[in-house]
Amino acid sequence: MKTLSLRNLGKTYFDPYAGAHVTAVHDVSLDVQQGEFVSVVGPSGCGKTTILNMIAGFIPHSKGEILLDGTPVNGPGPERGVVFQSFALFPWKTVLDNVGFGPKMRGVPKAERDRIARDYLALAGLSHAANRYPNELSGGMQQRVGVVRALANEPAVLLMDEPFAAVDAQTRMTLQEELTRIWQDRKPTVLFITHDVGEAVFLANRVVVLSKGRILDEVAVDLPRPRVWDQLVDDDEFKRLSAQVLQMVRAA
Amino acid sequence: MNLLLQMWGGYARMTRRWPALAAVIPFIPVVALWTIVAEAGLFPRAFFPGPADVVRSFVTLTYKGILPDYLQDSLIRLFVGASVGMALGVPLGILIGTSRWAHRICWPVLLFFQAIGDIAWLPILLIWFGFGLTTMTFVIVYTVLFPVVLNTVLGVESVPRDLGRAALCLGASRARVLWEVTLPGALPNIITGLRNGLGYGWRALIAVEMIVGTSGIGFMMFDARRAGSTVEIVLGMIILGLLWYVVDAWILAPLERATGERWGLVTS
Ligand SMILES: Nc1ncnc2c1ncn2[C@@H]1O[C@H](COP(=O)(O)OP(=O)(O)OP(=O)(O)O)[C@@H](O)[C@H]1O
Ligand SMILES: [Mg+2]
Repeated sequence: MKTLSLRNLGKTYFDPYAGAHVTAVHDVSLDVQQGEFVSVVGPSGCGKTTILNMIAGFIPHSKGEILLDGTPVNGPGPERGVVFQSFALFPWKTVLDNVGFGPKMRGVPKAERDRIARDYLALAGLSHAANRYPNELSGGMQQRVGVVRALANEPAVLLMDEPFAAVDAQTRMTLQEELTRIWQDRKPTVLFITHDVGEAVFLANRVVVLSKGRILDEVAVDLPRPRVWDQLVDDDEFKRLSAQVLQMVRAA
Repeated sequence: MNLLLQMWGGYARMTRRWPALAAVIPFIPVVALWTIVAEAGLFPRAFFPGPADVVRSFVTLTYKGILPDYLQDSLIRLFVGASVGMALGVPLGILIGTSRWAHRICWPVLLFFQAIGDIAWLPILLIWFGFGLTTMTFVIVYTVLFPVVLNTVLGVESVPRDLGRAALCLGASRARVLWEVTLPGALPNIITGLRNGLGYGWRALIAVEMIVGTSGIGFMMFDARRAGSTVEIVLGMIILGLLWYVVDAWILAPLERATGERWGLVTS
């Protein structure tokens, strides 16, 4: 069953400084099945963020359609959760209240939403940090909170735009492993945007390669789970897939 | 040199244990200098009273009940004016900060009226409202309003865009975003605005009380001039300084720091 479906999606910006129109996304059609993990890779400026922002409803699209379970979307909504590169945690709320924010907006009573938030914090191994404020956490911990905050709202699709780009390399690998574990546990539908080929292949069931506002090609990833870097770095299939995707991106 | 360092260390330790001392000790040389100049008789006593005279005047006026009454009047005026100024300034600042149209329309007007300044309004206010509470309140509100509006706008604009977006895609309505994100995000700046506004307002109040007042600290000082009582004038000046010191250093500044630091918005 497909959850998210993009039909001939396009976006043209008006650049007021150049006084000209810039087409960032030409024509993108993509179906994401329920419970699927799709990575989108492509070189800088190929329109990845633009696509995600249109799906999230942060910016209007210029042409085509975005359907979620068959209904067109416009404007942001809780059925499309977003994990931000900047974490975007509310600094004046504790970790617990950050994670409970979505349920709070749904009108879930305090005791119940605290229970939900604690459940998701445990999933990310953050139970001990529930009462801390975001600025008291490391970047890696903050993004763990960002991920479970979006998940706690049980969105139909989870949108992630280079969520691990702002943390150091070691932490990034840990976060990637945790994300695959959490995905296996809860099976959310994920659209994950990155320019890191290894990351895209490591996480996804399917990698979509984007080039200049169009989909160039896609590659299915059937690597066994759970995925752990220690095993995959020497895995021939992983190396082959990464090389294949890298070649496409370089050609893009 | 070594001795000086040791003394400085001792001072630092002492003030850390009793923070109130840090507020008092720097004034000791000031008062000492004042005493010396007064006692040396460089100026006639009637023109230049010493600390002892002022303390005596303080005791008498407090005993008669005049000083507490006047102080209360001034503080209530400031409080009323500041409250009205906040009640108008914060919503206006949020409107201007969130709406591009409101910004375009209000900003030039705001700058124009800010430039006129509070006291410049007095002549026309006196014709409109006469010598009374309305005139005084108008001036205080006017003085408090601008720092509050300008800082609120700054605060709203400083809230990262992703925070509003995060709230929206977690299911918040626009109104909830205002309440849950914009307002708390702007709060440290709003408090800065209040702090500045109260500072200007307090000074404006004294000036207005001198001109239109029938009570209040400003009135007391100006009235003392007629009686040629320099003691009361100096007493008034000291009260102004002390009161502001207490309000700013013990209430407003900690409040400003508390919101900013806790949220990691201020990094110092
Ligand atoms: N607000 C805007 N106004 C005008 N042009 C824009 C705007 N946002 C993006 N663009 C242009 O659209 C194109 C795609 O930008 P986008 O941010 O989607 O790329 P990206 O794939 O996310 O790149 P990166 O990997 O660097 O994040 C770029 O050429 C960019 O200059
Ligand atoms: Mg991008």
